[in-house]
Amino acid sequence: MKFKLINISFLIGIAPLVILLFLWEFFSAGPSPHFPAPSYWYLAIHQIFNNGQLFNSLWETIWTFIAGLLISTILGIFLGVLIGINQVVKDWSLFLLEFFRALPPPVIIPIAILLMGYSSSMKITVIAIATLWPILLNVITGVSQVGAGLIDSAKSLQLSRKDMLLKVLFPAILPSCILGIRVAIPLGIVITLLIEMLTGMVGLGGIMIAGQRNYNSAQVFGILVIVGIVGLIINLLSVLFEKSLLKNWPPKKR
Amino acid sequence: MSKFLKGISGIFIFILLWELFISSGLIYFEYLPPPTKIINSWLILLAKKQYWLEIFHTLFAATLGWSIASMLGICLGIMLGVSKKIRALFLTTIEILRPLPGVAFAPVGLLLFGFSLSMELTVICLPTLWPILINTMFGISNLSNKLDEVVETLHLSPSEAILKVYFPAAATSILVGLRISLSLAIVMAVVAEMIGNPEGLGYAIIREQQAMNPTNMFAYIITVGLIGALINYLLSTIARIILPGQFLRKDVFQAI
Repeated sequence: MKFKLINISFLIGIAPLVILLFLWEFFSAGPSPHFPAPSYWYLAIHQIFNNGQLFNSLWETIWTFIAGLLISTILGIFLGVLIGINQVVKDWSLFLLEFFRALPPPVIIPIAILLMGYSSSMKITVIAIATLWPILLNVITGVSQVGAGLIDSAKSLQLSRKDMLLKVLFPAILPSCILGIRVAIPLGIVITLLIEMLTGMVGLGGIMIAGQRNYNSAQVFGILVIVGIVGLIINLLSVLFEKSLLKNWPPKKR
Repeated sequence: MSKFLKGISGIFIFILLWELFISSGLIYFEYLPPPTKIINSWLILLAKKQYWLEIFHTLFAATLGWSIASMLGICLGIMLGVSKKIRALFLTTIEILRPLPGVAFAPVGLLLFGFSLSMELTVICLPTLWPILINTMFGISNLSNKLDEVVETLHLSPSEAILKVYFPAAATSILVGLRISLSLAIVMAVVAEMIGNPEGLGYAIIREQQAMNPTNMFAYIITVGLIGALINYLLSTIARIILPGQFLRKDVFQAI
């Protein structure tokens, strides 16, 4: 029931893509420096799969991405609640947050390279900072949208501060946290790839740019496909995770 | 104190703290200059013609790429939105291609076009196409069936139906897509310049970083941020004028 995706309409929907790839394969003149045939993509990927480069890069990209996202999630929720429940801090940091939001995340990379050098910790820091904003801003909005009635009823129940946070505030802001994380995930993937491309560090972006520098176009296209698949899997996992977290949301009226 | 004043003073406090921490030596990074030095080299940059040319190049590339993506996106979006059959045929393919990160096309663009404006336009167009296409498509396909009946009763030709009925009805949704895409286009222009096309603000940032010249680098980064904030402000003002009463999300740079 859940995986009803794979049915006739899915097959029809994916047909143009498959036909395009077949035409490409059929009409291309072999190992072109610009548009290599899909079969050459496979060969190129097979080669880097065999010498272990593919697995290494994939692992490096995925773990740094997850580490960065974890840090930004924890930090974003923590700071978001702190700023959100405090009207004074919120007012004073309004423009500052606005400016940082307007700053395209990729420009953090050169700053981090200068300050921290080429290292995994630099990479994770950049991913964490770039993905922090959507989460932080959504949490702040979420906190300020918690109804006064909810807070008042919690107060009249004389809940402790801890219960107030864990049992009232946190469940109430959960949907906006998840919204922020959903925005942060594709952004994080982009930033991870971009750092690897700019610095040539180990990772999918790194081998992609290396392929481009060596005019190994088949490798570039092959990794493009792999990046797409990784992106799809991460999206699918995040949707499943989201559903399991929000299965009681919105609360049913009794 | 008004909200505006508080917001402004927040920025000043941040700058002041930064200045204090650096000049007192409490925080020390070899390449983290204090704000006074950044402002100093920024003022020098402001007087240079090259600085303005770099800003112009980035804005030009972003708008050009955005215009191409808009035309493509609106045309394809109308086609997909009007015809249920075409939608059924292509929707899955679009859903598979859409999450492909825009940067991943940078090496492909480099292979095809080398270090050039075309490469930059490729990197800008592909990711900016999706918000426009999707918003146009769903803007039209989500319209009520009554409009189809109107088209039938009035015996409108397909082109008339699109121009006079579907397009105006979906205009709000299309504008939202256009707006998300424009901000995205500027980010992608900077990214493309960082990786490939050696012109514009993105390249300037990387150039100053590689020259170990952090004051200029920070000045360029602040420029990019200010342009982004300005465009966000302009777009939300325009959107409020054109579409009064519409709920529009403010965050646009988050959509890469």
